[in-house]
Amino acid sequence: MKSLTNLERMLKTIRREEPDAIPTFEIDIDERVIEAIKPGASYEDFCEYMDLDAVCYHETRTDQYEVIDKAKGLVRDQWGAIKQYSAVSMSVPVTIEPAIKSKEDLTTYVSPDPDRPSRFKRLEEAVKRFKGKRAIIATVRPFATVKDSLRDQNELFKDMVRDPDMVDSLNQIVRDYYRRYVKNLIDIGVDIIMETADWAFTHGPMVSPKYTERFIIPVFREIVEYCHSRGVPCLKHTDGNIWEIFDMIVETGVDGVHPIDPLAGMDLGEAKAKYGDRICLLGNVDCGNLLSWGTKEEVREAVKDCIRKAGKGGGYICMSSNSIHGAVNPENYAEMVRAIREYGRYPLSLD
Amino acid sequence: MFDFTELAHSVAEGEVSKAGDLTRQALDSGIAAKEILDKGLLPAMEIVGNSFEKGEIYLPELLMAGDAMKASIELLRPELATKGTAYTGKYAIGTVQGDLHDIGKNIVILMLEGNGWEVTDLGIDVAPEQFCDVVKSGDFDILGLSALLTFTMPKMADTISALKEAGLRSKIKVMVGGAPVTPAFANQIGADAYARDAVEAVAIAKSLL
Repeated sequence: MKSLTNLERMLKTIRREEPDAIPTFEIDIDERVIEAIKPGASYEDFCEYMDLDAVCYHETRTDQYEVIDKAKGLVRDQWGAIKQYSAVSMSVPVTIEPAIKSKEDLTTYVSPDPDRPSRFKRLEEAVKRFKGKRAIIATVRPFATVKDSLRDQNELFKDMVRDPDMVDSLNQIVRDYYRRYVKNLIDIGVDIIMETADWAFTHGPMVSPKYTERFIIPVFREIVEYCHSRGVPCLKHTDGNIWEIFDMIVETGVDGVHPIDPLAGMDLGEAKAKYGDRICLLGNVDCGNLLSWGTKEEVREAVKDCIRKAGKGGGYICMSSNSIHGAVNPENYAEMVRAIREYGRYPLSLD
Repeated sequence: MFDFTELAHSVAEGEVSKAGDLTRQALDSGIAAKEILDKGLLPAMEIVGNSFEKGEIYLPELLMAGDAMKASIELLRPELATKGTAYTGKYAIGTVQGDLHDIGKNIVILMLEGNGWEVTDLGIDVAPEQFCDVVKSGDFDILGLSALLTFTMPKMADTISALKEAGLRSKIKVMVGGAPVTPAFANQIGADAYARDAVEAVAIAKSLL
């Protein structure tokens, strides 16, 4: 088979057709790992160096936080929430104070501007550099915005029981914003949209299937439908055990689901058997323990195992089970990519 | 005669004001706070714990039950304190250094308190030396370490090492938990126990006493 471009490989795989090889990319790659593998490389340089099939851009990266107190690591996100970085987890600030603390706050709340040109600058540069070659992915996270920025998460969960109207109002804020923001992303030239809000914990969904359907799915379904109306695939990421809500996610028409979380007991082979004819599967190489502390040989075996379970006939993107975070052993990540290149060529030959 | 079952169900179902009203009624009718705790709240937390473990209720319902329990326990607290009612045990818990997540830890606290533990919440981003100070100054039975991020898990090992270096390790049992934590990891770093969720944490904590 003629070798495909990285973009063609990604799109063909997402359509569940058999490409020339199994693609790989990551939602996030910590700069410590980049520095260890290719010193001095930017994220974009690194993706080219590793020949990753997609580049992935996040809102928080394209629109930086406003620094409130540098010494304390305090920042304000675009939604108005105050967040804090810690010395160890430098890449993930956690909400200290949400934007909306009461129903009264809703009446005066001003949403961020989804059209602000500055937030698209880095993406526009990526389009210039990668368009037509590597898949350009932009992430969106409406439920996480409600849960981690607009409202204190415990209060949000309790609102679902005691004040559903409050949740509807919060959802309307993100619905209005993302409707416009996703349009802008696609206008600029993004190839794939990926919704990356976690909906589940290790033991199961964060909220019941009933509440997932009522409060979480509708905004997501709108995004999927809008993407499809523009001919753009839409992928879904969520950590955790999603068996109880997997049908619901697939029924939105979403094109692929990541990462079929191994730490939450999700089995990739089972997911392939149940949903492989309707969606593309992504992920499943354990980044919690294996990529951090495993041996290279174990990493190779895990990659082979994932490909064996989900690679047949296409419809599988081999990547980590969350991201290449700061504790991942760079040598293990490099080994993972090497193994995907070695064992992921079609026709598959794993043994 | 006071209906403890009704109180237990109002707490389990997260009916905050009803749980408070029933608790007040019970106190007004002369029932001892300890009896209300034992016959009303502990059964309620058992119902909640079992339902959560079986996947019959989820976080929203669990948090509402927690609020109802707090509404009730706040009314009992003055009498419990005066009479020096014995707790199941004393538990100190915190999220390890570098990790700012607290939802899992808070669920564990809720379940422990509902099961009669006196819990001291050390908060998030707790340094090994802070854990040592707490263990040194208090008479806790168990120290709980929580982490959500893979790259903060080594801080659990650092905390246990710090306890050893300070000569405090034999003074306390250490339990670990959190999404990326595994039983093998707990064993490897020398923790006394691992709990996969809040319900298991309650059962394991009791077995460690």
